[in-house]
Amino acid sequence: MNCQEALHHLYEFLDREMTPDDERRVREHLTACPPCGEQFDVEEAFLRFVEARCRAQGAPPELRRRILHDLFDA
Amino acid sequence: MDPASPVPRPASPDGARRARFEREMLPHLDALYRVALRLTRRPADADDLVQETMLKAYRGFDGFTPGTNAKGWLLTILRHAFINEYRRRSRRPETMDLDTAEALAAFPEEGLADPRERFFDRIVDEALLRAVDELPEAFREAVVLSDIEGLNYQETARVLAVPVGTVKSRLFRGRRLLKARLYRYAVEMGYVKKGVT
Repeated sequence: MNCQEALHHLYEFLDREMTPDDERRVREHLTACPPCGEQFDVEEAFLRFVEARCRAQGAPPELRRRILHDLFDA
Repeated sequence: MDPASPVPRPASPDGARRARFEREMLPHLDALYRVALRLTRRPADADDLVQETMLKAYRGFDGFTPGTNAKGWLLTILRHAFINEYRRRSRRPETMDLDTAEALAAFPEEGLADPRERFFDRIVDEALLRAVDELPEAFREAVVLSDIEGLNYQETARVLAVPVGTVKSRLFRGRRLLKARLYRYAVEMGYVKKGVT
């Protein structure tokens, strides 16, 4: 696998949407090619960052209370 | 089991239904709220949308197949409610068409001379959420479902009622746009210098 092919599968790889065989081929390229490895690392850090920061928020307690009331007590 | 033993059981079919709904659906309330907030971009509207979604879900609970993806089922209801009722009511135009958005999305790789600098670590939550909210809706909903709520391609495709290939393309474009906006923000804040080589 060359750099172009690896990059083409960047997100499928990071999103864990590849077959085990294809995933292994990408992984082998990343080990052999530090620049690609670095780029994949940065992308992965970016995705983890978005997930962690945006998931901090949850439903307000008042909304939860209101929904339970509407569903079951109204 | 001894038939005389006091097995705790719901007093009525309604009670059983309610218990099952609470067990299977309520754990996803936080996820529903987060998605609603990113779709509507206003806390009051997000409240209404989530409430409406839960009412619809409870009413249609018999249509849910136990053991299948409850979060996906709820998110599908939420998205339908958003499109059919909320969005039609508000008639808020899309802030930017997709092509214009993409033209602005070129990510200045040269600004990341040292990619380990990970400028985004310095970005505050509010700026990130704003950048997500500014994405065109088609990209935003894909990014929110996949990158924030952790749905896989297939699940995201099902909620959005589009092919998996469309999900992949929207994720690719939405992520690129999001990065570009965050990068611009980082430059404005002086976290990174523009065009550093």
